[in-house]
Amino acid sequence: MDIIYFGLISASVLLLSSVGFALIVQVEGFLNIAHGQMLLMGGYTGLWLTNIGVPLAPAAVLAAVITGLLGMAMYGLLFRPIKAKGALVMLFTSVGAAYVINGVIGAIAGARMQGYDLPPVRAMLLFGEPFMTRYELAIVIVALLSALGLHLFMSGTRSGKSIRAVADNEALARARGIDPRSTSYLVWFVASALGGLAGVFLGVMGSLTLAMGWQQIILILATTVLGGLGSLYGVMLASFVLAFGIEFGLLAVQPAYRSALAFSIIIIVLLIRPQGLQSLWVRAARTH
Amino acid sequence: MDGLLIFATSMVTLAAIYGMVCMALNLEAGVGPLWDLGIVGCFGVGGYAYVLLTADPAADYQSYLFGFGLPMWVGAIGAATAAGLAAWLISLPTLRLRKEYFLIVTLAFAEVIRQFYANEEWLTNGVAGIYGLDQPLKQQFAPGDYPYVLMALCLAGLAATWALTRQLSKSPFGRSIKALRENEALAITAGIEPTATSRRLYVTAGAITGFAGMFFVWYNTLIVPGQFDSDFTFFIWAALIIGGIGSQRGALVGAFVFILLHDSLRFVQVSGEMAVALTSLRTALVGLVLILILRFRPDGLFPERPDRMTKGSRHA
Repeated sequence: MDIIYFGLISASVLLLSSVGFALIVQVEGFLNIAHGQMLLMGGYTGLWLTNIGVPLAPAAVLAAVITGLLGMAMYGLLFRPIKAKGALVMLFTSVGAAYVINGVIGAIAGARMQGYDLPPVRAMLLFGEPFMTRYELAIVIVALLSALGLHLFMSGTRSGKSIRAVADNEALARARGIDPRSTSYLVWFVASALGGLAGVFLGVMGSLTLAMGWQQIILILATTVLGGLGSLYGVMLASFVLAFGIEFGLLAVQPAYRSALAFSIIIIVLLIRPQGLQSLWVRAARTH
Repeated sequence: MDGLLIFATSMVTLAAIYGMVCMALNLEAGVGPLWDLGIVGCFGVGGYAYVLLTADPAADYQSYLFGFGLPMWVGAIGAATAAGLAAWLISLPTLRLRKEYFLIVTLAFAEVIRQFYANEEWLTNGVAGIYGLDQPLKQQFAPGDYPYVLMALCLAGLAATWALTRQLSKSPFGRSIKALRENEALAITAGIEPTATSRRLYVTAGAITGFAGMFFVWYNTLIVPGQFDSDFTFFIWAALIIGGIGSQRGALVGAFVFILLHDSLRFVQVSGEMAVALTSLRTALVGLVLILILRFRPDGLFPERPDRMTKGSRHA
């Protein structure tokens, strides 16, 4: 049973970190390496807020909003002006941005490992068996709600529809009276805020280090590729496949090989399905 | 003053090593079509192969396999061969993937390889690494002069890499990989086999990178898994982009500019607390330069120049 709980928790955090990344891949068409640093930003902002006395829940929300604003600023200052220069230039601009954010946070917060100062809690009981702690349960619920919310937002609201329209065909969307610029700002806000929230959760579950953003971006890339680049539902499925795959795989290999295990899963899936899991339900015709 | 000279020597040595890897990456990703985000994988394999072949047998507090104590030239061949072999193995499943997928899967392989060194203690002594490794020609020179000797060796390696990659990119092979980069469909109709050509390219670049790994071992006199994380890959890419991707001179200049940016601040002596902040700011500085170059000179300091076959044939 423990495996299922652990799998569920890691899948939730992975889901929350990766959907934002996938959203940006879908709309902007490049791999935003700085997304890992959005997690770092969220985690450290949340830490700073709780340290000055804000309770955890509002601190998490506020950290997400601040990270979302940073994402918007990054888009406006860095990525929008170079959009015409192609995916490689954007990819490495995001690497540069990741270094800047990482460096500035490191200079302010220091390189030491830090953690949220939370009262210790015991796991709750479910049918007399130990289940999850309060925090873990909250993380799972928030992550699942965010995924559901994102789905409803993308399929049901006007803004969501315009995001999808811009992602599919920007010229056509513009001809239909959608302003791609405000759509993009919205995407960057939502994506970065979700990343920031994931960062707070990572901090709550474990500790915060400066390397966190780099470690997480590797897992995020793995999840996104597994799901199929740019496919939101693919990524949602992939975070569960990957998290449970890792937890079950750890029965057979030593824990030190955790991310190696994740990559082996991806390599195997891509050998069979070069377009990722999304190709299970999307025909191969759509390429970019 | 002496300290400054030694520091500069050390920086030039490191930049020469970075330059070798930059040129290998340039061959792959600048001249050729392969966006490889796992270059550190072959670099590490080369380094470890060299160490395992040439180091003395393990002492009883260490555990690593082999330690044959073989001569260095055997180690050099071994480093390039092992890295080429690793590249060949990686190329088997990855070359059929599209650009971004290839990027990420090569990154994944490099990470798996790093975890392998860190965990397989019987082979590599794990995270503790292997220390006190020999440097070439160490006995023949006074210890005070040795840094210059090492610098000369690395510069010689750099020159050899320059000549080799330049020759390769001008050869028919170089023209075929350039064709694959520009327009794969057209290259296929011209009779270029994309997978076989890309595989040859990937293995060649891997072998050169592994060879550079040997110089990195000489420079550090130790080997630990932490040296080979993906930071290195991103640093090499950053250097190449700063210099100008697709151009030999760009790869060379990029490596030196990058080391100047990234490591010159190391010379500043500050207190412990400040040093931590300074390390972080160093990273931020590299990022800022990368952003600015991409914004204002997206083709780098020395952009790729169009080929001229012979005089007068340009409009033919």
